[in-house]
Amino acid sequence: MADYKKPIPDPDPYTTGPFWDGAKQGKLFLPRCTDCNRAHFYPRIICPFCHSTAIEWFEASGEGWIHTFAVQHRAFGGWADEVPFVTAYIDLKEGDRMFTVLRGVDGNKPEEIKVGAPVKVEFEAATEDVHIPFWRVVG
Amino acid sequence: MPTNPSMSAAIVGAAESNKIGYIEEGTTNNILFIEAIKNVCDQVGIRPSDIEGIAAPNAANFLAEYLGIHPKWIDTTSVGGCSFQMQVHHAMAAINAGIIDIAVVAHGESGYSARKNSGKGRGGRGPGDPWAPASMFEAPYGTSGAPSNYAHALTRHMHRWGSTKEDFAQIAVTTRDWATLNPRAVMHSKETHPAGGPITIDDVLNSRMIAWPLNLLDCCLVTDHGGAVIVASAERARSFRTPPVWIAGAGENQSHTSMLEMGDFTATSAYASGHAAYTMAGMGPSEMELAMIYDSFTITAGITAEMLGLTPRGEGTSLWADGKAGPGGSGIPVNTNGGGLSFSHSGMYGMMLLIEAYRQLSGTAEDGIHGIEGKQTSAKTAIVNGTGGSLSVTGTLVLVADD
Repeated sequence: MADYKKPIPDPDPYTTGPFWDGAKQGKLFLPRCTDCNRAHFYPRIICPFCHSTAIEWFEASGEGWIHTFAVQHRAFGGWADEVPFVTAYIDLKEGDRMFTVLRGVDGNKPEEIKVGAPVKVEFEAATEDVHIPFWRVVG
Repeated sequence: MPTNPSMSAAIVGAAESNKIGYIEEGTTNNILFIEAIKNVCDQVGIRPSDIEGIAAPNAANFLAEYLGIHPKWIDTTSVGGCSFQMQVHHAMAAINAGIIDIAVVAHGESGYSARKNSGKGRGGRGPGDPWAPASMFEAPYGTSGAPSNYAHALTRHMHRWGSTKEDFAQIAVTTRDWATLNPRAVMHSKETHPAGGPITIDDVLNSRMIAWPLNLLDCCLVTDHGGAVIVASAERARSFRTPPVWIAGAGENQSHTSMLEMGDFTATSAYASGHAAYTMAGMGPSEMELAMIYDSFTITAGITAEMLGLTPRGEGTSLWADGKAGPGGSGIPVNTNGGGLSFSHSGMYGMMLLIEAYRQLSGTAEDGIHGIEGKQTSAKTAIVNGTGGSLSVTGTLVLVADD
C-alpha cells in the first residue's frame, strides 16, 4: 500500500461514506432513491432523476458492461509507468455509470476490446482506508 | 425590440439550507447549495426540473449536473459577495428577453467547515477540489486533459454508428486546406510548422497516438490567443465605420459537466442550443451558408455537425467527405480560418470562431493580413457553435450578414 504511487481520492465523509466503507470490505455500495427506486452514481444527497432526497445505500452486484473506452498513451505521475492503459465507462447492472481503468485487457490491442463486454468490480487498497474500485473484463 | 426591463421579473421565494451557522459535524459547499435549492423549490411549489436558468458563483454548471437538469441559461459570475445581486440582474435581463421564465440564484459556502477541515476540500465545484465528485471518482484513473476524455466519445461513435477513424481524419485534412489560405494559421504551411498544410488522411492516421482512437492530428493546437468583439444595440449598430453582422439567433444548453454524467457519448447539448438559436432566428440548417464549428478534436466537430442538423444522425463526418467543406468544395464551407485543429486554439477556442464568422459575413475575411485569396466565401448566414468542458456545454449563434 505504501507504494501506491497513483492519485488517491480524498473521500468526502458527508455524502460518500458508505461507498468507501463498502470498498474496504471489497463490496460495491451504490446510492438509490427510495421514491423512484433508481440507483445513481456519483453519490448525491438528492436523486438526479426525481429530485427526492430519500436516498438509501445498498450493496450492488459489482457487475456491468463496457459502455465505451479509450487507450491512454500519455499520462503523468504514477500512471505514466503504465501506458498504454485502458480507461472505460462502465454501465452498471443496477443502472448509471462509473469510470475506471480496465483490467484484463491489452492496451496495445484496442481492436480486441469490445464495447458491451461484461466486467466485474475489484478493489485495490491505496491506503488502509481508501480502497479504489477497478473493473476487470470477464468475458 | 429592446424594452426597459423594469418590473419584468420578480423574486418569488427565498430559502436556506437545512443547517446554517457553525455546523460542527461539518458540511460541504455542495450540500449547502443543494439543500437551499431544494428548499426554495419546495417553498415555491416547483420541482428542480422546472428550473430553466441557474446562477451560482463558480458553481452553476456543477450544480446543474448534480441536480441532473439541463439548463438553457447558466451564469457562473464570480466577482465576490455582490455576485448574487448581479446574477438577479442578469436573470431579469434573460427573462425580459424571453430566454427563460424561471431561474434560481444560489449560494453554498462552507466557510466554517472548510476552516475546520483545513487541508481538505470544500466539497463543491469541480475538478481540482478534493471532494468534488470528479476528484473522487475520475481523477484516480489516470486521465490527463481533454484528449484522454474525448477519446471515449470517438470509440462509442464508431461502435454505434459504424464510423471510422478515416472518416474523422478528413476533418483534420480539410482544416489544413483552409489554413493554407490563412497566413496567421499556425499550420499554414510546412514553413510555419513541420506538420503544416496540406496533409493527407494517412498523415493523420500515422501521427503519434495520444489516446486511442485519437491520434495527434485529431487533436487541436495549444497556442496563445487573444480576441474580442463589440456587441451593440440595433439602434447603434449602423453608426460605426465597420459593417454590422446581425445576431439572428442564440441558444445555450448544458447536458453535464463530467463525462461520468454524459448520457449518450455520441450526442451533445448542441442539439438543444442549436434548436434554440434556429428557432429564435426563424431559420433552419438548410439555410446556413457557413458553419463555424468547435473542433477541439475531430470527434467534437463530427458530432456537432449532427447536432446542428447539418447532417443526418451518425453521419457527421459526411459534411467534410471528399473535401467538400474545404476551399472551393461542393458543400458549405466549414471552419474557414483553419479551425482549432490548424489555425489556433488557446484552450478556449470560442472567440476565434466568432472573429472568423464576423469576418466572413462582413466581407473582410481577406483583408490582406488574415487571409489570402480564396478564404472569403459568399456566405450571408452562419451557424456558430462553441463546445466547452468535456462535450458538456454548448453555445450556438445564428449570424446574418447586413443587407
